[in-house]
Amino acid sequence: MFRRIAFLIVGLLCLVAATPRAHAHPHVWVTMTSELLYAPDGTITGVRHAWTFDDMFSAFATQGLEQKTKGQFTREELAPLAKVNVESPQEYAYFTYVKMNGKLRKDALSDPVDYYLEYDPKETVLTLHFTLPFKTPAKAKSLDVEVYDPEFFIDFGFAEKDQVRLVNAPAQCSVSVVKPHDDFFSAAVRLDKSMAWEANAGLGANFANRISVNCP
Amino acid sequence: MTRDAKARLVLSISVLAVLAAGALCQEAAAQSSPLAAMRQPAAGGLFGWLLSKQALFYRELSGLIRAAKSDGTALWGLMGISFAYGIFHAAGPGHGKAVISSYLVANEETWRRGVVLSFASAFLQALTAVVLVAVAAIVIGATAKAMGDTVRVIEAVSYALIVLVGARLLWVKGRAFLRTLRTLKSEPAPAVKQAHDHNARCTHHEHAYDHRAPHSHNDAHAHGHGADHNHAHDQDDGESVLPWGHAHGPEPEELAGPGGWRRGLSAIVAVGLRPCSGAIIVLVFALAQGLFWTGVASTFVMGIGTAITVAAIATLAVGARAVAKRFAATRASYGTLMLRGVEVGAAMLVMLFGVLLLTGTIASERMGMF
Repeated sequence: MFRRIAFLIVGLLCLVAATPRAHAHPHVWVTMTSELLYAPDGTITGVRHAWTFDDMFSAFATQGLEQKTKGQFTREELAPLAKVNVESPQEYAYFTYVKMNGKLRKDALSDPVDYYLEYDPKETVLTLHFTLPFKTPAKAKSLDVEVYDPEFFIDFGFAEKDQVRLVNAPAQCSVSVVKPHDDFFSAAVRLDKSMAWEANAGLGANFANRISVNCP
Repeated sequence: MTRDAKARLVLSISVLAVLAAGALCQEAAAQSSPLAAMRQPAAGGLFGWLLSKQALFYRELSGLIRAAKSDGTALWGLMGISFAYGIFHAAGPGHGKAVISSYLVANEETWRRGVVLSFASAFLQALTAVVLVAVAAIVIGATAKAMGDTVRVIEAVSYALIVLVGARLLWVKGRAFLRTLRTLKSEPAPAVKQAHDHNARCTHHEHAYDHRAPHSHNDAHAHGHGADHNHAHDQDDGESVLPWGHAHGPEPEELAGPGGWRRGLSAIVAVGLRPCSGAIIVLVFALAQGLFWTGVASTFVMGIGTAITVAAIATLAVGARAVAKRFAATRASYGTLMLRGVEVGAAMLVMLFGVLLLTGTIASERMGMF
């Protein structure tokens, strides 16, 4: 009996301790639109993201930056921040996970190019633009691009309009989008049950935004 | 079974328990492993509910801070949401539930002390956030990145302190454990469960007692003898405060007296030093709105909410320990050894948390991502 209780206590403490990731919750909200870029030969060459941060985080991120006009930031003034923004998520693979014909391709994308930040003075929000090029442009009958933060510190969601666009894709390709935010938490349960991403799928994977392209 | 064999059995069981707990910890901490991810509780359950509430409250903060700019009554709403957010948020990482709970179990603390520790560390956490933003953002005009870097340094110091607190506990409790073990071995064989050999037991009692921290009079033996027994130490065996255990009502001097505050201070600092990233973001946002003081008030109200959750969990841990102690009491010295074993285990956990946090194995909240 005593032994069991001793186990229980230590076990309990342990559970309390081991929950950090499971209990993490977002401090940053991103509203995004994405474009999939294709070469004339029908291979996919890159993913272009536009991520708009929430106003609270935007205020935090722009803290201490020099500005000529109060309440406004030019692209140049934001350039150093943009550099930080695209460099820090490197260890999280830029929160962009590519799957080709059902297989996760961990090293499909290289580091971001063509990045810059824009400030919307009316909404007081920042938007980060960047492109993740494919290391080797590839063709795939079915291509999935998922965007999520495995630790769920950042909550990604598609914008209401123009969520995903195919640029120069072959005519027979069609795109569909799965948004966890349609039905936030029940969608999470559903995704959890049918979790297809095997590798490094933390809690955040439950809140993945999936772009699926079919090119029969 | 001979006494020797029994002692060895007990020792191996407690070691196993600690190892098993450690393994459990690591496994659960390694959330990135596919298996763990699969087994993760569905986010739609209790966790999902907690998450959704936190997210909801946090998002409302920004709107309410904006509203407070022009409408004074929005301030009340803001404080209410800050409080609620704090309560739910403490379930998240970085608020020292685990460290405080383990510390309390290892150190034989009372639940009231647990509550005091929880509130003090939450208060310190809010204070660090406010001071950091005040100095970095207002005085120096530092960037978000600089603030993030500062937080990371503070974080490392805080985690190192947790390791130290754990190491110290382990040293004290480990020795107590070994001492009890030795006493148990040298004890005359059959007299374990009889209530008559007060002399022999009291001697052990003192042995087991004299090397422990001052004022931690809440010894397992106390209950083994019945309340009317006169203890070697001069403190009163107070009535049970918790419905489920034998925890003592703390004397005022126990909380604040010599060695009282100081004893808990290391834990308070270790846990409370690290500011919560949510609070920092809220503060900087409030500052950008020209409402820094509103942000400060919101941060402290959040802290009260956080403290309530942490205190509740800490009280649970203390209660569980009290139950264990009651069982230990029925086993006399054998039970004491187990109890010492639990304390050693809890001390190891404190250290383990520190190490895991320091090495980044357990992810805490990220700061300055983006």
